Amino acid sequence: MAAYIGRRLLQAIPLLVLISLVVFVLLHLIPGGPMAAYGNNPNMTAADFARLEHDLGLDAPVHVQYLRWLGALLRGDWGYSLASKRPVLVEIGDRLPNTIYLLSISLAVTLGIAIPIGILSAVRQYSVLDHAVTTVAFAGQSVPIFWFGLMLIIVFHVVLRNPVSGAPLAPGGGMYTLGEPFSILDRLHHLILPVSMLAVVGTATYTRYMRASMLEVIGQDYIRTAHAKGAPTRRVLWHHAFRNAAIPVVTILALEVPVLFNGAVFTETIFSWPGMGRLFIESAFRYDYALLMAIILIGAILTIVSNLLADVAYAYLDPRIHYG
Amino acid sequence: MLVPLDRRCFVRSLRRFCISALVGAAVFLLGFPPGLAYPQGARGGTITFALYQEPELLNRYIGTQTALSEVTIFTVEGLVDYNDKGEYFPRLATEVPTRQNGGVSADGKSITYHLRDGLKWSDGQPVTCEDVKFTWQAVSHPKSGAAYTSGFRDIDRVECPNPTTAVVVYKTFYAPYLDQFTRGILPKHATGDPAEMTRWAYNRKPLGTGPFALLEWVSGDHITLIRNRFYRDSPKPFLNAVIIRITPSREVGTQLIKTGEVDIVWDLIEANVPELRPVPGVKIGAAPGPNAERLVVNLADPALDAPPPAEVAKHPHPILGDARVREAIELGINKQEINEKLLYGLATPGTNELGIGWAKCVTKVSEYSPDRARQLLDQAGWKSSPDGIRVAQGAKFAKDGTRLRLKLQTTTGNKLREQVEQLLIDYMKQIGLEFYIENIPSAVLFGSWSSGAFRKHGQFDVVMYTTNPDADPHSQIEGYFASWKMPTAANNGDGFNYARWSNQVADDSIKLAGSSADLAVRKKAYCAAMDELVKDRPHIYLYGRSQIHGYRERVQGWVLNVWTNVGWNAQDWSVK
Repeated sequence: MAAYIGRRLLQAIPLLVLISLVVFVLLHLIPGGPMAAYGNNPNMTAADFARLEHDLGLDAPVHVQYLRWLGALLRGDWGYSLASKRPVLVEIGDRLPNTIYLLSISLAVTLGIAIPIGILSAVRQYSVLDHAVTTVAFAGQSVPIFWFGLMLIIVFHVVLRNPVSGAPLAPGGGMYTLGEPFSILDRLHHLILPVSMLAVVGTATYTRYMRASMLEVIGQDYIRTAHAKGAPTRRVLWHHAFRNAAIPVVTILALEVPVLFNGAVFTETIFSWPGMGRLFIESAFRYDYALLMAIILIGAILTIVSNLLADVAYAYLDPRIHYG
Repeated sequence: MLVPLDRRCFVRSLRRFCISALVGAAVFLLGFPPGLAYPQGARGGTITFALYQEPELLNRYIGTQTALSEVTIFTVEGLVDYNDKGEYFPRLATEVPTRQNGGVSADGKSITYHLRDGLKWSDGQPVTCEDVKFTWQAVSHPKSGAAYTSGFRDIDRVECPNPTTAVVVYKTFYAPYLDQFTRGILPKHATGDPAEMTRWAYNRKPLGTGPFALLEWVSGDHITLIRNRFYRDSPKPFLNAVIIRITPSREVGTQLIKTGEVDIVWDLIEANVPELRPVPGVKIGAAPGPNAERLVVNLADPALDAPPPAEVAKHPHPILGDARVREAIELGINKQEINEKLLYGLATPGTNELGIGWAKCVTKVSEYSPDRARQLLDQAGWKSSPDGIRVAQGAKFAKDGTRLRLKLQTTTGNKLREQVEQLLIDYMKQIGLEFYIENIPSAVLFGSWSSGAFRKHGQFDVVMYTTNPDADPHSQIEGYFASWKMPTAANNGDGFNYARWSNQVADDSIKLAGSSADLAVRKKAYCAAMDELVKDRPHIYLYGRSQIHGYRERVQGWVLNVWTNVGWNAQDWSVK
């Protein structure tokens, strides 16, 4: 196993270099560039322009810029944001906790709803409940997430009001009320809408995974054996069936790790959440190459690592699986 | 095996671990990030201001966006600044230097500023002439990374005869000298090495003299400014704090002001006005600003790469090189209708570059006369053809048989501009001219000379966008309309004369304006240039944008100033 993991990690290195090269070239192929921010400013002379372009290293050919970037990275230097002039890791460090905060709570809510419903739906296959769950899950997966988020704001922030105070039922954005002392209730209040938005889509997906996985397991011989031995249904379901059905779901969960890093662009934008998704979009609009490269490359590393993690966890949880 | 652990035991302990980890994580996450509570606690004295762009940083000499100065205006002050009429008024100086008060020497090259007595930074340190001197040294340092160096490199020295007097001596006369220190004075004791300017902690937390001091900046979320205890004009400021709330879009801000979550929403567009006007408690502040949407018309042959003036004269644009065609285009545009249909009547019909401000030049709005436009085109040798698009037959520069067809370009993703384009296509069709559209992202349109941007290199017919002069219009007027400001290979693409217009009277007037310290003389010279501009039409002005902000009725004391930023008089703000 150790050899397997070692091999996989070694394979990841050329892959990462390739990813970084392709992304770097693609970013520089996008027409325009960071210098366009100064392009319409009558107070800047051509000499100012050339000086700044040189200071930022943007006047060098793309391959030279890439090698400079790669060289600095190998020395552990991720570079500075072209816009804010701060180290890119500081920029990411400012936003990452907010994203992890929102997405991990959403994931917990999602799983808390999706797993019981998925199991129930599988156990009562083709019942009214199952049909209802399947329909709702399809609807949840198909709803455009940005539309749903805006609807949540219109209904719970703009239209519906607290009958006593007249205040909106839920805040329309932000992580907490500005200028107020810290309060857990206020935090929870601000989580309601964005978490609902993420949980609707997430729940739809995970319910379907859980249902499919559970259906496969309860058709197995050992479940019938357990029933034949006279084990109570509850015990058969939880002890025998769920544990095995959960294995694929656990491995899918491992793939959520890069998502926790990359953030949720739509949700963060709609609910003014200062997370990684918005940082990425804003950097893209500003052609902030150094910051974009860092976000994409860290995302790629996490994807590779979490895939490996999923495979290892799979082998670990299911004794039938072996990697040579 | 990775870990010597029985599988069943592993699963069981995993479950236990998961539960406790989840509980722990929940407790941790709900308390995270800790966020700074506003110290005085009173909300009655706080105004929340919605900004739909996050500033890159807060150093006005490095950053480029308007959003940046919308924040720094609360804390960073210059020696003089512009008031709501576009005139200079003293901020840190006791008076605006002029010839009359002895602040400007006879040759106009040495400018004396007197600082107010007892001025302090918001940390209590005194403000002295050394800070003015440092500002010049820092910005003009070759390694500073500053974007705004115009004028600073022309300064020979800053003399400090005493701590409250700063004498700025220029090497050569610099007409917009009053503009020099409007962007703010840098505190020498709270910044750092000029060569390291882009790395200064100041850029994230500037120290100033204004009514508010920066408390914290939570990336992507908000910036809190609290009352500056050392503000010179006690008992001002009246507010305890101003919170800048960064919203992902303008639309979010307009929603937040409806529910009262924010008090001021910055930079609305015309289309927001009908939506916000009926909302109780919300008011709209709007005034014509210096932004003018225009068609930049290429007078040179677009097949050439960045031709200098002599080449332009030899190779004019086959269609647009003829002044009659440009006149026909302007006469064919119904500016009134564009304003009413697309801008809710909130804009002003475009005339010339100097529609407002101290250098305002009044020229007549072009009339809408498609008949006259058709006549002009007939005279210019563009004859009607069966498909409605005219064809050259004895035109001045175009070969016979050339169709009267031009490329119209503007930035992508701007709904208003796309709607204006549709109207323009319609108007031109009626006079027999065909506009075809090829829009491009703004980063490409405004690209640099070295990146080969077509605007810089003169490879276009007609481009539509907005630009505006500062309160001192010199760099704009010279940059766009002086013949020596055509970007060419010889000058490394310097200047903005994309129309490649050269006019002797305009050139002389711009030179005169650039060499005089007398605002009256300068204004007269600019207006002479504007008269030529209106005749020659290198730019065809469509409409002047208004600056529009929304605010809630509880905000008292705010005065709209189109020349600077919303917070320009924040010391006078209060809440009902």
